[in-house]
Amino acid sequence: MNMALDAYEGASDEALLVLYGNGDAVAAQLLTQRLAPRVLGFATRLLSGDRAEAEDVTQEAMLRLWKQAASWRSGEAQVSTWLYRVVSNLCTDRLRKRRTVDLDAAGDPEDGQPSAVENMMDVDRATALQGALNRLPDRQKVAVTLRHIEGATNPEIAQIMGISVEAVESLTARGKRALAKDLAGRREELGYGED
Amino acid sequence: MVKTDKQPMQDNELDLFFDAARRDVAAPSDTLMAAIMADAQAQMPVVEPLPTSKTHKMGLFASIWSAIGGLPAAASLATATVAGVWIGFTQPVQLETLSGGLVLAGDYVTTDTTYALEDLAPGYLGTTLFAEDEG
Repeated sequence: MNMALDAYEGASDEALLVLYGNGDAVAAQLLTQRLAPRVLGFATRLLSGDRAEAEDVTQEAMLRLWKQAASWRSGEAQVSTWLYRVVSNLCTDRLRKRRTVDLDAAGDPEDGQPSAVENMMDVDRATALQGALNRLPDRQKVAVTLRHIEGATNPEIAQIMGISVEAVESLTARGKRALAKDLAGRREELGYGED
Repeated sequence: MVKTDKQPMQDNELDLFFDAARRDVAAPSDTLMAAIMADAQAQMPVVEPLPTSKTHKMGLFASIWSAIGGLPAAASLATATVAGVWIGFTQPVQLETLSGGLVLAGDYVTTDTTYALEDLAPGYLGTTLFAEDEG
């Protein structure tokens, strides 16, 4: 099995999806290893750090990918772009259902989540940023997360969100300004009080 | 210089937060990975195997029938046979009519003019050679 995984290592996501569509389970395993962590990270950020709900979204998004495999149109969109769009829509739907919940109450991520970050300063920064992201309007939050954390390009974000590149630039610019203003209030708390 | 809470963060300061967030990625649990793979197995399209060649034994007639190309070939063969019989039995005047006078010039049926084979193909029966021997 590992030899088969190694053989597919250089294959693109799209090639692996086509292989899966032809009944190749090893391709599915490699796609899961590549995409699930990214999807989970993105969903976790959009869902204000709710890990359990993010896992549900991840499984649902991957399930939709498997269902799409047989009719995947080659060259139309990148697999990761398609997945981000699905995740974004799923998270937006769930956030809408949460609207009755007080934003401040849902502001900060839960404590005690497993984290790869060992540096406490990084933990504080990541937590503070998540809190500030949670206070952004949904569309700004999605655009800023995709641009500055997931590393997507503006045209990719435009494709994911179904808007123009100019609209993406506007959303990310406003989102960053709001974050800069919000996080400035926590400078001293985060040890930025002095140069 | 001391930065106050009223001054928005600069891009380089904000980038530190984004960098920290990028590093703050929790790996998916084994349970989640297993659930995703179970879905993948359940949804995996079933690919029909390619049909294998059938090696059943054919009878003599079936073999001949297959060798000559089946029904289309048999139909062509029948047509060619009927056409051959028709050409063989019809009178030359009909051939004359069909050929527009090119094959047999003149009224072949009603005149007394007849042609021997050597008239039509003088060299074919070697008459030229006989003449040369006599001379």
